[in-house]
Amino acid sequence: MAGLLELDGLTRRFGTVTALNDLSFSVPSGQVVGFLGPNGAGKTTTMRAVFGLTDLDAGSVRWNGVTVGATQRRRFGYMPEERGLYPNMLVAEEIEYLGRLHGMDTRSAAAATKKWLERLDVADRSTSKVETLSHGNQQRVQLVAALVHDPELLVLDEPLSGLDPTGIDAMGEVLVEQARAGRCVLFSSHQLDLVEDLCESVAIIDRGRLVARGTVDELATSGARRLGVRVEGDRQGAWAQGIPGVTVSEVDGGEVRLVLDDSTDSDVVLEAARAAGRVTEFVFGRRRLSEVFREAVGR
Amino acid sequence: MKALPLTLAAVAVVLLVRLGLRRRSRGRSLRLRGLTRGLRDRRILGDAGLVAGREIRERLRGRLFRVVTLILFAVVAAAVVIPTIHTGTTTREKVGVVSGPPALDAELQKLATAVGLHVQLVREPDLNAARAALSAGHLNMVVDGSGSILVENPVSDTDTSTGARYVQAVASDLGAQQAFARAGLTAEQAAAVARAKPWPVESVHSGKGATTTEETTALLGIILIFIILNQYLTWTLMGVMEEKASRVVEVLLATVRPVQLLAGKVAGIGAIALLQAVSLVAFALVLAKVVGSSLVHGAAPLVLAATLVWLVLGYAFYSWLYAAAGSLAERQDQVQSLALPLSAPLIFGYIVSLIGVSSGHASLLVKVLAYLPPTAPFAMPTLVGFGEATWWQFLLSVAMSVVCTVLVALVAARIYRTAVLRTGRKVRLRELVPALGK
Repeated sequence: MAGLLELDGLTRRFGTVTALNDLSFSVPSGQVVGFLGPNGAGKTTTMRAVFGLTDLDAGSVRWNGVTVGATQRRRFGYMPEERGLYPNMLVAEEIEYLGRLHGMDTRSAAAATKKWLERLDVADRSTSKVETLSHGNQQRVQLVAALVHDPELLVLDEPLSGLDPTGIDAMGEVLVEQARAGRCVLFSSHQLDLVEDLCESVAIIDRGRLVARGTVDELATSGARRLGVRVEGDRQGAWAQGIPGVTVSEVDGGEVRLVLDDSTDSDVVLEAARAAGRVTEFVFGRRRLSEVFREAVGR
Repeated sequence: MKALPLTLAAVAVVLLVRLGLRRRSRGRSLRLRGLTRGLRDRRILGDAGLVAGREIRERLRGRLFRVVTLILFAVVAAAVVIPTIHTGTTTREKVGVVSGPPALDAELQKLATAVGLHVQLVREPDLNAARAALSAGHLNMVVDGSGSILVENPVSDTDTSTGARYVQAVASDLGAQQAFARAGLTAEQAAAVARAKPWPVESVHSGKGATTTEETTALLGIILIFIILNQYLTWTLMGVMEEKASRVVEVLLATVRPVQLLAGKVAGIGAIALLQAVSLVAFALVLAKVVGSSLVHGAAPLVLAATLVWLVLGYAFYSWLYAAAGSLAERQDQVQSLALPLSAPLIFGYIVSLIGVSSGHASLLVKVLAYLPPTAPFAMPTLVGFGEATWWQFLLSVAMSVVCTVLVALVAARIYRTAVLRTGRKVRLRELVPALGK
């Protein structure tokens, strides 16, 4: 079930605001791809464009080389940012109905509904009205609605927001499982630690433009050298301020994460740290995804 | 004046529908699932058919629908049965007869038959005994052959009940018989005078005036159209608004085209409206047959057929507008301000037609409104009720309505497609103008 989603030169303007600015990247099958960007970067507009829910001023969305239309979209699964289900329908009936709209026959839709409600631990609420479910369970049902027709592409807008750790684990397992089964999975999130755990690769956009794309490993190991340093008595890293060619990237629990220019000698940093106090940690490290993100968007 | 109680009933039902719209259905029925499963399985209408099937199933489950339907059936039953009670032939009264020849008994029976009354004649020995029996409630009236009539309570000239009309007929007939005898007329001469008929009065519009039955049928028809249009158009408006407010529309439009979603909703709700209307009309006809109402005679069935045709056309015309309006709003208070201008022509057509039917005369305004699609659903059945619409006039009005409905649907589909995904605030029509031109 190999597939490839290609976003090619997407441009969308709302009056004077450019939501998407010649945005291009692709999503291969077999991977969970994180779609990152600050608020208002254009993530939701991009996802809506995949489903034809917003008009494009330029560009195209292709699935396996073919411009996406109604036929292709039947094989896609979508979980919008603002959850959308009929609040007064019964859970199972609503899922079956959505499965039918994706081309399933009644029997297949019923069987798939049962399977996925069980898989996501909400089978006991199948005859309840959606509006009576907790937020977390509604979120699970929403994911079932995106999965019921066994889609080749899953596009999920903030699927993990507001979930407790159990819910995040359950949903994360499903996303990875789908990718392992050969589906394309694209999801957006602001929970970068979770994205780092779940995703093989990420695409980062800012102001409608792609600013970073690659596997998590590539992005983590690329760019300038990084140092993690702990100095007793200076948990805020004041000692590191003003060292030429050194930028404080993050201060986390007493660990100061530094970015070094190519021309900067790490011995200079070590000397500065020792001058400030006893050095308990001095480690070259990878970039965290949060660092990749901040550097990519320049904020 | 006979329109007043029915109009009040119509207004009450409409208010009930509007007030109860927020209530959610609770009942679940496997039978209803079966009704729509065929439609869904065969996908006769594709995705629009699936959407229509869901609409039908969910609406029929609603408690509000059941309550309103029961009320409508009760109102229709009352409208059919109550008029027959006044003209019924099943009333039986006991009439005491004091003295008088045997021919008097035959005359009293003949008069009873003429007014539709069954009487049992009871010979009383004298007037005192008869008076006592009347006072005790054993008799309804007493006829004294010597020239007087006794009743328990005074009979008003305006009382049109069968019993009162019988008293008036007996008094008048026996008085005339006595006058003929005193004038020395022979039996043949008296009979000839009794058979005297008034001269016929002809109107300028001879043969075009609506009969009472047709008037009543037209009145019931436009009230039915008004109630059902109000109920189901409001459902359409609210249904679209709720889909937008709950954001489910984004999930639906990810796989269904906007026009399919809109058409399915309009068709589904319209199917229930037609089903309810046909059921009510069928119920009215069967009940009329059973109770002997004049509803099933003459041109009345034709007026009923015209009512159903214009119910469908009226819903088809307005439903697209209401659906488009629903896509502009996502809150209840926004809906109210959108519904008001849309319902104005509907209410105007209804009131003008109602006045026309009640006055027994189709005004020039009604004749003009019968060709305008927003008002034709009320005005044209009114003309049919008066017998003032020829077949080609009827078809012309239908054609105009169909053409306008297609145009309205095209515009409404564009408004819907553009507005339904714009969330966060009420969308103004002028904001959509650039998109509508695409």
